[in-house]
Amino acid sequence: MSTMKQSNEAAVQVTGLSKNYGSVQALRGVNLSIGAGEYFVLLGPSGGGKTTLLRLLGGFIRPSGGQILLHGRDVSEQPPNHRPTSMVFQSFALFPHMTVAQNVGYGLRLRKMPKREISERVDAMLEQIGLAALAERMPHALSGGQQQRVQLGRSLVLEADILLLDEPLAALDAKLRKEMCLELKHLQEQVGITFVHVTHNQEEAMTVADNLAIIADGELVETGDARTLYENPIRRFTADFIGENNMFHGRVVEVNGPLAEVDLDFAKLAVDTRGQAAKVGDRAAVSIRSELVWILSPGEEPADALQTMPATYGEAVYLGLATSHVSRLANGDTIVARQISRDEISNAFSAGTGITLAWPRREMRLHLS
Amino acid sequence: MGDSYSNIWSYRLTWLYTLLVVFTLMLPVFYVIYISFNQNGFGARDYVFTLDWYGDIFSDLLLLNALGNTLILAAITTVVAVPMGLVAAKFYKTTRAKLFTVSLLLSPLFVPSDILGSALLVFFKNLNIACVSIGDWLGVGWFDDWFVLGYFSALIGLIIYTLPYIFVVILITMGRYHEQQSEAARSCGATAWQAFRQVEFPQIRAGVFSACAFTVILTFNEYTRTSLLKGGYDTVTSVLISQMLNEGMSEQSYAMSSLVSFIAIAVIGGTILYTLIRSEGLGREARAKALPVMSS
Ligand SMILES: Nc1ncnc2c1ncn2[C@@H]1O[C@H](COP(=O)(O)OP(=O)(O)OP(=O)(O)O)[C@@H](O)[C@H]1O
Ligand SMILES: [Mg+2]
Repeated sequence: MSTMKQSNEAAVQVTGLSKNYGSVQALRGVNLSIGAGEYFVLLGPSGGGKTTLLRLLGGFIRPSGGQILLHGRDVSEQPPNHRPTSMVFQSFALFPHMTVAQNVGYGLRLRKMPKREISERVDAMLEQIGLAALAERMPHALSGGQQQRVQLGRSLVLEADILLLDEPLAALDAKLRKEMCLELKHLQEQVGITFVHVTHNQEEAMTVADNLAIIADGELVETGDARTLYENPIRRFTADFIGENNMFHGRVVEVNGPLAEVDLDFAKLAVDTRGQAAKVGDRAAVSIRSELVWILSPGEEPADALQTMPATYGEAVYLGLATSHVSRLANGDTIVARQISRDEISNAFSAGTGITLAWPRREMRLHLS
Repeated sequence: MGDSYSNIWSYRLTWLYTLLVVFTLMLPVFYVIYISFNQNGFGARDYVFTLDWYGDIFSDLLLLNALGNTLILAAITTVVAVPMGLVAAKFYKTTRAKLFTVSLLLSPLFVPSDILGSALLVFFKNLNIACVSIGDWLGVGWFDDWFVLGYFSALIGLIIYTLPYIFVVILITMGRYHEQQSEAARSCGATAWQAFRQVEFPQIRAGVFSACAFTVILTFNEYTRTSLLKGGYDTVTSVLISQMLNEGMSEQSYAMSSLVSFIAIAVIGGTILYTLIRSEGLGREARAKALPVMSS
């Protein structure tokens, strides 16, 4: 992580922000704070309201309620050209009748900057984004990755305080997307301004983000850095959305200090509450990451720190690096054990065999909401 | 077309057929042009080439006046109706009530010209009577002649008539425009007007200019609505038609018709040529610039 990230000033401060399209509530009372100089990612499923939130920040749509502060200034009533933001779109946003250099210099020309200075800054920016050789090309003669870099250049050259990116890499193929992710990350570290990046791609999000917010169904579900959200999610939705988790549903039957006992009907699990206020009778979910689950060899005695559970073996799904072993629990739910691919395990069980699954107790997570 | 397996002769025949159809459609126009150069005029046995009739246009005050009136009507209709069509097309792209908007805007197309013309005629007459009576009642007279038939009423008829065409022509070119570009311009600091002027307009310019040319041609062409609403003024079409209905067209009227056709053909042909040459040029430029990619 870079060094100057955690300054106290918030670049974006959003309170009670909502947006309705007719009867559709696209965003409901979102509160969010993004620190200056952070690379912040809005991640969530399709239709969750990510674009809506980003466009509200950029001033392209009017909020139905709530307040937006950018660097402490209320901009709720300001049009896009009066906000300290600049936006990068998914595609088709370059001006097709202008060359690469003219596209990048557009905002500077609007500021009536002297021609010499414009061309100096444009050249420097093209150098920085690696497109110096293509300055005189028209946008239609560029590849998708080059087009997105021109968009970045066009925004960054303005030295706006906040850069908004709406699925900037979605139109690129998987390999190029990976490269561009790292490029974006490094670019952000160089220029040091706040990036707010929307994506529904988990890997992309985790590659670039200092901090993430999960947005679903018009609500902000949870925020945190990538590791926290992956390893220690509080909300059930987060556990379901990030990584690959096995989820058990039941009720709290006993609370004992930091431990809550959750009854799943066919088994009981004792799980750390992680500070959540669990009460007897609460509906609860328990999650465990699939890569932490494995199949005990026949006759193996499980260590004390392990939670075990009987299951019926189903099938192995080969995914290259890892293989997912899919089994069935006593109540019929599936459970996945994901392990580095090795022939010994993959061929050891046949469908319908009774097996025992095991995982570390302390890795189980209780979700009350 | 040499790069596919399709029969070269079917391609040539298609072209031949198209040219034949266009030629057939234009034949009467060519005939009028042919007559306009004949010393002896329409239906004469002997053909003697002359340019005299063209000279006579300029001494025929009736025709000159009519031409002037038509040009004024065409100019004002274009200046008023094209921006209206542009605004309507922009509104159509953002509104959610698309069906309603498009039905409303295209409805003048579905009303026969004589019905729309006479409806407007009755409407203006009644308005005029109302204005005069209210004026009498108030004891003032300065709005007595607001709705007397004349330029103003003819213009309203023409605007109603041309607006649907303008709307459609502009909308078609706007269809290829991506709205994100305006948003990108806004986020670069452009005002809404600058974004329109510098980013959107250059891309829909062809549609706007076509709409202008179309409006002028439609205005020249229109007889029914204009003649019902024009009051005492003459237009080129009304003069030609009244001549035809009476003693037959005068020789200089043939010359005038030919002149108008020449100008129309020159304008449209010029536009097409310009567009072709330009797009060819842009294509060559783009190919020249598409050098091997230096960085991925
Ligand atoms: N202009 C609009 N009119 C009506 N409903 C809209 C409009 N724009 C968005 N919505 C609705 O608002 C909700 C949120 O949309 P939004 O585009 O913000 O989602 P998103 O998280 O960006 O999804 P995606 O990942 O698919 O881009 C969706 O249910 C969508 O259908
Ligand atoms: Mg979106």
